[in-house]
Amino acid sequence: MTVEARMKLFNRICAGVLIAFALLWLTPLAWALDTALKPNAETTRTTWKIDDPNVQAFARILRDTDIVRWFGSSLFISTLTALGTVVVASLAAFALSRMRFRHRNLLFWVVLAGIMIPSQVLIVPQFREMDSFHLLNTFWAVSLPQIPTAIAVFIFKQFFDGLPRELEEVARLDGAGYLRIYARIIMPLARPAIAAVVIFAFVTSWNDLLWPLLVLSNPDIMTMPVGLATVQGTFGIRYADTMASALLGAVPLVAVFLLFQRNIVEGFAGTGLKG
Amino acid sequence: MALTRRALLGGTAAAAVLGPAGCSGLTPGRDPGGTLDYWNLFGGGDGLRMTQMLDGYRSAHPGIDLSAVTLAWGNPYYTKLSLATLGDKPPDVGIAHLTRAKTLISAGLLEELKPADLARHGLDASNFSERPWQAGLVDGKAYAIPLDTHPFVMFYNTDICAKAGLLDSSGALQPIDSPEKFTEAMRKAKAVTKAYGGVVAIDNDVASPWRIFQSFYAQLQGQVLADEGRSVVLDDDKATRVLAFLQGLTRQGLLPGSIDYQGAIAVFANGQSGFYFQGEWEISTFQTAKMPFSMTLFPDVFGGGQYAVQADSHTLVIPRQPDRDQAGLDRSLAFIRSMLDQSDIWAEGGHVPAWVPFRDSAGYKAMTPQSNYASAVEGAAYDPEGWYSGSGSNFEIVMSAAIGSVLANRSSPAAALASMRSNLTSLARTASPV
Amino acid sequence: MTAETAVRRTGAAGTAEASPRPRGQGLPAAGFLTPFLLLYLLFILGPALYGLVMSFFDTSAVKSGLNGFAGLGNYAEALQSSDFWSSLWHTFWFTILTTPPLIVLALVFALLADRVRRGRWFFRLAFFVPYVLPSAVVALIWMWIYTPGLGLIEAALTKAGITAPNWLGDPGWAMPSLAITTLWWTLGFNFVLYLAGLQEIPRELYEASAMDGASPWQQIRSITIPMLGRTTTLVAVLQVIASLKVFDQMYIMTSGGPNYATRSILEYVYDSGFTNFRIGYASAVSMLFFVVVLAVSAIWFSLVRRGEKEL
Repeated sequence: MTVEARMKLFNRICAGVLIAFALLWLTPLAWALDTALKPNAETTRTTWKIDDPNVQAFARILRDTDIVRWFGSSLFISTLTALGTVVVASLAAFALSRMRFRHRNLLFWVVLAGIMIPSQVLIVPQFREMDSFHLLNTFWAVSLPQIPTAIAVFIFKQFFDGLPRELEEVARLDGAGYLRIYARIIMPLARPAIAAVVIFAFVTSWNDLLWPLLVLSNPDIMTMPVGLATVQGTFGIRYADTMASALLGAVPLVAVFLLFQRNIVEGFAGTGLKG
Repeated sequence: MALTRRALLGGTAAAAVLGPAGCSGLTPGRDPGGTLDYWNLFGGGDGLRMTQMLDGYRSAHPGIDLSAVTLAWGNPYYTKLSLATLGDKPPDVGIAHLTRAKTLISAGLLEELKPADLARHGLDASNFSERPWQAGLVDGKAYAIPLDTHPFVMFYNTDICAKAGLLDSSGALQPIDSPEKFTEAMRKAKAVTKAYGGVVAIDNDVASPWRIFQSFYAQLQGQVLADEGRSVVLDDDKATRVLAFLQGLTRQGLLPGSIDYQGAIAVFANGQSGFYFQGEWEISTFQTAKMPFSMTLFPDVFGGGQYAVQADSHTLVIPRQPDRDQAGLDRSLAFIRSMLDQSDIWAEGGHVPAWVPFRDSAGYKAMTPQSNYASAVEGAAYDPEGWYSGSGSNFEIVMSAAIGSVLANRSSPAAALASMRSNLTSLARTASPV
Repeated sequence: MTAETAVRRTGAAGTAEASPRPRGQGLPAAGFLTPFLLLYLLFILGPALYGLVMSFFDTSAVKSGLNGFAGLGNYAEALQSSDFWSSLWHTFWFTILTTPPLIVLALVFALLADRVRRGRWFFRLAFFVPYVLPSAVVALIWMWIYTPGLGLIEAALTKAGITAPNWLGDPGWAMPSLAITTLWWTLGFNFVLYLAGLQEIPRELYEASAMDGASPWQQIRSITIPMLGRTTTLVAVLQVIASLKVFDQMYIMTSGGPNYATRSILEYVYDSGFTNFRIGYASAVSMLFFVVVLAVSAIWFSLVRRGEKEL
């Protein structure tokens, strides 16, 4: 066998193994879909075959639970968080990257320290704080603590540092103020950084469980993960309904992922971040 | 009722408030409207019956938008209820175990239910079984309206017991009133099933081992905690007697030494045991299985006439809410009344009704086997008071772990007792957060 | 391009950039920084300090104010509590169970995918889609897969003549079961990081070694894996820190059971603070957890540094 032929065979085997694993990885989702398409009574037999496939479980969940409302809550909270993060982090990063002022390095290190504090460590005092602000069971309680993300400041600062200064010199000569330079010159160029931060903040916020679980106890305004985790008991042993609710809960992010697959994967790989 | 109503409607301002309350559950379509949030923790058969009762309420009150939420049983439920109340967005009405309501009350999370408000809805003390009503009072004030009492009971397979010669001529179970007779009954049943005499859930069960222990222990008049949970008063002699007795049963193979909740149900349902010990709510499971069974009081083995059995009550509570007005309170109380008026549906599921008008009715007396064990209410031994005690609490978890290890033959009664005492002492020493 | 390199790069930029500018930008700079710093102070630094203070008090969730002073009592109680140590151990046990397979499998899959020219979107989809799902969705699906008597894995094992364990019900199996779920859920993230790392390896290296007659296996061992060293350390650091913060899977799938066998340290904080209302004690446990995370991160970072110097 030539080296080339050997290489080809090797690559074929690689592909085969990988396809097997990929299918294995898709099995749980396929099984969930299979179950959701069965009538509840049929789920007591472990088989892929469906005698009477139908989407009634989905219809029941949409009708009997607040899942649409949870979706709305999640969408609102995650959007608010993502936009808030982008605005406050990019403003701060702009100052740290483009302006000279006293204690700049000190401030920078203070922000840096934020990366070391896992948000989970703060749930107890934050809950207490929200309680005293009378913000419990509001969207603000969920969103506000997620907005000051030190890591987002870094992503922006790193990106801004890489932009040539000549760009703003011209604008400055024209008499443009900092706000104008930030809004008209820097931010339009910072699209990749914005995309990375938006995706990261949005997905993190959307998938967060612990914090919204604590501050949102009212089923009317629960986020999707909290709703799904909290009222699972309602379905009892109706597995088709449970799987339908899980899949409905999965749909929004999977749809977003399929639309922006490349950006999302690169965004995550590029920032190297994890919730 | 109609007369009273007419009298009240004499043009006083109060009529606006009292009118709708007076006709609660009776005249559909006359509600002022509004919303009502209700939380409960009922799964399985209880869940299905509760849904039926909620449908009953909805059809009687079409103007009210009732939203009912079922949450996971045990600690998660009470955490959620507490957090929601702290966050000023609690449900209008919630279910709480009587033993858990105590802690919620001391934490200031529940609304006191004033006699005048209760009376407006016919919820006077005299309408409730005395034991659950009294047990729910704090400083003589009412906070929790008992819906039922749910004692630990004895299920028995009538076919197996007949074959084992354990039934009398009328088909009822012969009295089991001493440790010897209890063991004997298990032995005879085992001879028939060729597997086990009886079964109780042990593995990964945070409540069942405690329930069977407490039933025997309370018959010996043993106490576990005193001084609202601040001191541990375990009686070594009595506890050892009970633990040794329980261990003897599994050692002799009369009860399985390793089995979880679902497994225990399966053993009894498949006829591998003649007896099954659990709360009465499992009645629906065995009715569905269409097996020959009946239920009776958990036997008075150690009591010598002083009957006692582990029990708790489901109560309806109104969590504290800053902006609740009189109309909202009345809507909630009317809802509670509607649940009580449907006690028949609830009793079908095994629970002993606390609502006297139904409890004393012919309808309930005719309901068998449910009415067989109605007298358990008088001997109800609730979990001891303490901020860490109550159904599904840390207390039950600690106790069940120790008792379970004795049942499973993993530790001696003495070792289990020591572990109970050390765990309870550290809980008792912890300053109460409420 | 990572949290860690971001820190180093910006640090370097801060010192290297020496073009002096006139002073007096303090005011506009303050304007730009205020929104972030205000929120940062209010919701991160403030609570961190407040949590530290509460950890010295018997603060209760249902009482206002700090309540009685406890001194170091909460810390002493935690350090003497078997519940604290067992939940800390469960957290480590989960980390030990998840980290190696999450690194090794992700690397293997990425190596395999690197050899496949077509249809790479499909693999990215298959492995990465679980990662974007909320934990609750993952938990619901896997609880169904693990259901005794009806579960998919049990059915498969039964066909193969193997008796399946009670996945989530057996104290010994519950944690491995949660680890399997987590492996399925989060592998895609590491997979993508490795794919990115692989793209940065110059193709010439392979071509040169192919001319020397190196087999694919030799290439992987002598070129690919060493060149991926940095990615591996990064993946390992992120993975360990993420695993230490585990909460969701346990909370939803086992509630920390059976017999507390899967209660993580974060769930212990949740239980102490919000189920038992003991906010002060829960703050002390949070602080101890913080120290653990810091210590583990510090150890990992120093290992990374050393590893990079050697390269």
